[in-house]
Amino acid sequence: MLFSRRLMLGLAMASTLAFPAMAEGPTEIDLFFPVPVDGKLARDMGTMIKEFNETHPAIKATAVYTGSYDDTLIKTRAAIKAGKPPAAVIMSANFLLDMQIENELTNLDALIKSDGSTKEQFLGQFFPALQGNAVINRSVYGVPFHNSTPLLYINADKAKEAGLDPNKPPQTWAELTDWAKKLTKRDGDKVTQWGIAIPCAYDYCGWMMETLTMSNGGRYYNEEFGGEVYYDTPSMLGALTWWNDLVYKHKVHAPGATPGPAVSTSFISGNAAMMMLSTGSLTYVRDNAKFNYKVAFIPRNVRNAVPIGGASLIVPAGLEAEKQKAAWTLIKWMTSPEKSGWWSRATGYFAPNMAAYKTPEMVDFLNKNPDAKTAVEQLDVAKPWFATYKTVPVRKNLEDEVMLVLNGKKQPKEALVAAQKAADETLKPYNETSLKLP
Amino acid sequence: MTLLDRLWKDAPLATRNEITPKLGFVLTVLLALVWLIPFLWMGVATLRPPSDGFNLMAELMPSLKPTLDNVRDAWEIGDFPRYTLNTTIICAGILMVQFVTITLAGFAFARLEFAGKTLIFYLFLMQLMLVPVLLIVPNLTLVAQLGLYDTLTGVMMPFFASAFGTFLMRQAFEAIPTELEDAALIDGAGLFQRIRHIYVPLSMPSFSAFAIISVTSHWNDFLWPLMVINSPDKRPLTVGLSVFTATAEGTQAWGTIAAGTLMVIAPLLVTFLIFQKRFISSFVTSGIK
Repeated sequence: MLFSRRLMLGLAMASTLAFPAMAEGPTEIDLFFPVPVDGKLARDMGTMIKEFNETHPAIKATAVYTGSYDDTLIKTRAAIKAGKPPAAVIMSANFLLDMQIENELTNLDALIKSDGSTKEQFLGQFFPALQGNAVINRSVYGVPFHNSTPLLYINADKAKEAGLDPNKPPQTWAELTDWAKKLTKRDGDKVTQWGIAIPCAYDYCGWMMETLTMSNGGRYYNEEFGGEVYYDTPSMLGALTWWNDLVYKHKVHAPGATPGPAVSTSFISGNAAMMMLSTGSLTYVRDNAKFNYKVAFIPRNVRNAVPIGGASLIVPAGLEAEKQKAAWTLIKWMTSPEKSGWWSRATGYFAPNMAAYKTPEMVDFLNKNPDAKTAVEQLDVAKPWFATYKTVPVRKNLEDEVMLVLNGKKQPKEALVAAQKAADETLKPYNETSLKLP
Repeated sequence: MTLLDRLWKDAPLATRNEITPKLGFVLTVLLALVWLIPFLWMGVATLRPPSDGFNLMAELMPSLKPTLDNVRDAWEIGDFPRYTLNTTIICAGILMVQFVTITLAGFAFARLEFAGKTLIFYLFLMQLMLVPVLLIVPNLTLVAQLGLYDTLTGVMMPFFASAFGTFLMRQAFEAIPTELEDAALIDGAGLFQRIRHIYVPLSMPSFSAFAIISVTSHWNDFLWPLMVINSPDKRPLTVGLSVFTATAEGTQAWGTIAAGTLMVIAPLLVTFLIFQKRFISSFVTSGIK
């Protein structure tokens, strides 16, 4: 009896870190997820988790819908502070640094090691461009789940009509401006068709500003240190001035700040002939466009470069070992080639796991829908998404000013000076670290 | 103009031939129309087929081919009967407890004498100046410690006491003549009997005014239930509805959103139409003048 009890104890000690395992029922875990795309995907997520529970009887996962990316961050933080952290969260990829600074994340190195894998092997499954947002101080904190890059969508029928060749999409800002001029239709003073639409609402606006700034040779933020952003710089000034010119000088872009959903709607309805939008909208465009369309790389002014977007799976800090293990099992399952491929086909996001593109379903899908390849090819020039201390407020410091510019209330230079000043103020507490001098 | 004539009959006799009240009346009607536009649009958008496209989205003119597809979509996406039940439980639960707490607290501030009464009352009123968002983390921590995380009780808990309600009841009770209470006292009524038979019946208008404010604000509350609730079957209407309105990429299916929103506000709207007279009068009458 004694012997067997000791054996049991030994087994229990081995199976968890310190807690004797409760052999009663499955481990119950919550997964927080936002719906960045069509609401029907909330049901797809339900289907996915149901399948996981059927194949893993020892774990019972519940998918909890938590609003937008920003709402998901608020709810996750509140839950951590209340001592009720969820086991896993699909978190906007650029929030990881801020959460790590606040000690809200579990370092995943130990879990990777316990699988007998190395960091290099584990990260090697994913596209290199995605690693910047998942790795902080050489430790893994997130697992890429669904990712995106911005694309240029072109209404091919309207391009042909205007005497342009949709198979040779614009490659530079100069060409794009020219295309937008040719694609704008006017009826006297009234514009009946806009040449191009670029979204600007909280979250999207910052991402688009990073896209344009990078294409203009700029950096947006310090990739090595979470306390600096570069708003008041020539590269960003050029980006914002060009955007402002599209609206007020060339009059080929509707005035005002347009939210993402309105941009995709106006492209689908033929109200805008081109748009810049995430590859995450590709499935929606494919299902709803009643015309031929083309997707292309974001045109450059100085160089071809885009930020990644999308979300990673994270494990919050403060979980019991047993739940951590269950969450890790769920995360590995969700990011496997088959599952991430399935999710990619459902949404339009690309699958971060490179092996997903070798599965027969995916090969078949890409042959039928070659447009889904563009975002993946663009990964060669992709770089991390801006991530700083207090990412959201720092991002809003810029977005508020950009909105004023697009609404014709401010000029680009004064807007960027104001944005820089506000952001420096927001970042101040963190900068104490680099200003602590001997 | 016949409509105006009919409405005219309701105007007080003395002012029937003056011009100023008529102007005021016309302004009121105009204002009412402005308020109605969003509701009209919601109804029109709900019945508009998706094929009408984006350009017609903002039109107030109804589509010539009305369809119920949007209603069906919204109904399928969310478990609306369940959400409605949850929201009803939350609002009713909060209101029941609030009635007890604000009656007793209001009475204490209006009629009892105790040390530091004024100071405590001002502290109470200071709650009105706090932004609810500030309290999310401390409230959630407390709710979790009480073992009420992810329960409907947890959603209701922070609202059981209401500073505004206490203030409202104190004002109402103070307006009631003490002679009435003295008479009851002579008849040998105890404290709670006096509250029950004198103060509460005479303050009914204040109670109904508070009920309206309480129910509408908690019916529409989004952020707090989102924080507390995890289980899909405990979602209130607002959180359920946001599943298909809070999309960042993709698009917004305005027809579906309008249909969903209509389902969310319908119970409140119907209640309001039924009790309209009562609602309005509760804001204008008070006890004995």
